[in-house]
Amino acid sequence: MIDFSRVQKELQECSRDIESSGIRVTPKSDNLGRLTGIIPGPTGTPYEGGTFCIDITLPDGYPFEPPKMQFATKVWHPNISSQSGAICLDILKDQWSPALTLKTALLSVQALLSAPQPDDPQDAVVAQQYIKEYQTFVGTARYWTETFAKVSSLGVEEKVQKLVEMGFPESLVRSTLEAVGGDENLALEKLCSG
Amino acid sequence: MSRRVLCKFFAHGACLKGENCEFSHDWKDPPNNICTYYQKGICSYGSRCRYEHVKPSRSDAVASSSSTLLLRSSVPNSSASAYSSKIGLNGVTASTGLPSGVPASGRPFVSHAKPPWNLEYGKHEPLDDYDVLEPRHAKPEDRPLCSFAAAGTCPRGDSCPHIHGDICPSCGKHCLHPFRQEESEEHLQMCTKKQKNIETLKRSQEIECSVCLDRVLLKTSLAERKFGILSECDHPFCISCIRNWRSTSPSSGMDVNNALRACPICRKTSYFVIPSVIWYFSEDEKREIVDNYKAKLRSIDCKHFNFGNGNCPFGTSCFYKHAYRDGRLEEVVLRHLGAEDGDIVIAKDIRLSDFIGSLQIG
Repeated sequence: MIDFSRVQKELQECSRDIESSGIRVTPKSDNLGRLTGIIPGPTGTPYEGGTFCIDITLPDGYPFEPPKMQFATKVWHPNISSQSGAICLDILKDQWSPALTLKTALLSVQALLSAPQPDDPQDAVVAQQYIKEYQTFVGTARYWTETFAKVSSLGVEEKVQKLVEMGFPESLVRSTLEAVGGDENLALEKLCSG
Repeated sequence: MSRRVLCKFFAHGACLKGENCEFSHDWKDPPNNICTYYQKGICSYGSRCRYEHVKPSRSDAVASSSSTLLLRSSVPNSSASAYSSKIGLNGVTASTGLPSGVPASGRPFVSHAKPPWNLEYGKHEPLDDYDVLEPRHAKPEDRPLCSFAAAGTCPRGDSCPHIHGDICPSCGKHCLHPFRQEESEEHLQMCTKKQKNIETLKRSQEIECSVCLDRVLLKTSLAERKFGILSECDHPFCISCIRNWRSTSPSSGMDVNNALRACPICRKTSYFVIPSVIWYFSEDEKREIVDNYKAKLRSIDCKHFNFGNGNCPFGTSCFYKHAYRDGRLEEVVLRHLGAEDGDIVIAKDIRLSDFIGSLQIG
């Protein structure tokens, strides 16, 4: 059974220092078992300026079992599958500890973005490229960031404008955007699912 | 143990617990005659107390109380006459609750068809404090402490016939008898200890479990309000969280020693968890908690060892008692073997089959 009171506390804690960490965790629905984590790309890396969404599913044994995390945003990284978004990170597997929280786990994922481990790859193609043609890797990673993770390049008004043009009422668009932390794609997904 | 002590409510014919009472409902069992006030160091009756003055550590207190009970019932007049003398002294009879014309001896009541609690009237609670006026010639150590002063302030002030005790530095009450050194010291000891306990408990209340993020002592269920102390580090958890984590079935390649037995915070491996209702704030306090816990376990027979009939997987490291039925403790003799490379190894579970298996039969 998931310890929901702990998840509640974690969410509160996370929203408290959202300014300093930039890490956001929001529940997908009323059920706290499925959440969305949002991390900013670390500065000084090809992921800088991007906003990455991570799907979080809490197993029944949480916090005694690690949360399942997967990138929802496409990302080019040796330890993250370019196809599925699966993350290869020890603390999400055998090095999990119940003293870790969603926020600290997301911080670790963010750290993984700035320090790839090509020796223990999740995506062999990316890892090969990272080792053999580092410059090409940086270029691809930046391109992917620009293409898939740059929602914040648009201002809030532009996003609202875009979604309103799709036929959604403006007030609903604004509240939905607010709820998903300004991510236009997530907002669209939510709006479509009703 | 408590089953063999006579229930005092039953003795008065009014035990509400009936069958479920944890005290004995058998008249043959001795009542508990120990003065709890004396044990706290604040009995105001001193040597005149009708209850036994024994130290809390005396384990045979119950057994001995049966003999004193016999002694008392054989001389019922002593206590009853004490009553009458007090009554005579004060001229107050109504407030004692006794019908007028009570004979000096309590015995005649037995013959009447009275409810059983009247039988016991000779051993009733002491009379109201107001009615006991001290004879001026009593020795100072025999004079009782004023209970009003001990509880706070005495309305009678300086005109009070009782001794107003000295102030106890730790509880701040007037409950140290100036003429009974031993009792006062006992009270001081108990009081300081109690005060310290309260202090630690207060500080423990602030401690949060790092897993469930709750304050351990404020958890909803009583059983959960306990800390699980790890032997090797000082990170606080509640007992249910840390036990839960350590008993998680190792999945996806988790190593028992490196992951599950490690502290969730510092990953230092601890081989056992100590349950405790208080948290500690110094190494000494921790050692005390651990030692107390181990001492308690050492008094319990190991169910695996089963008085020598079983086999305890923990062997010599087991915290529980390994004793045979006759009370003999298990003796452990380790066999040391010199290994080929010169090291000494401890021989353990050597089977003949190990040797036969390695034989090459040509």
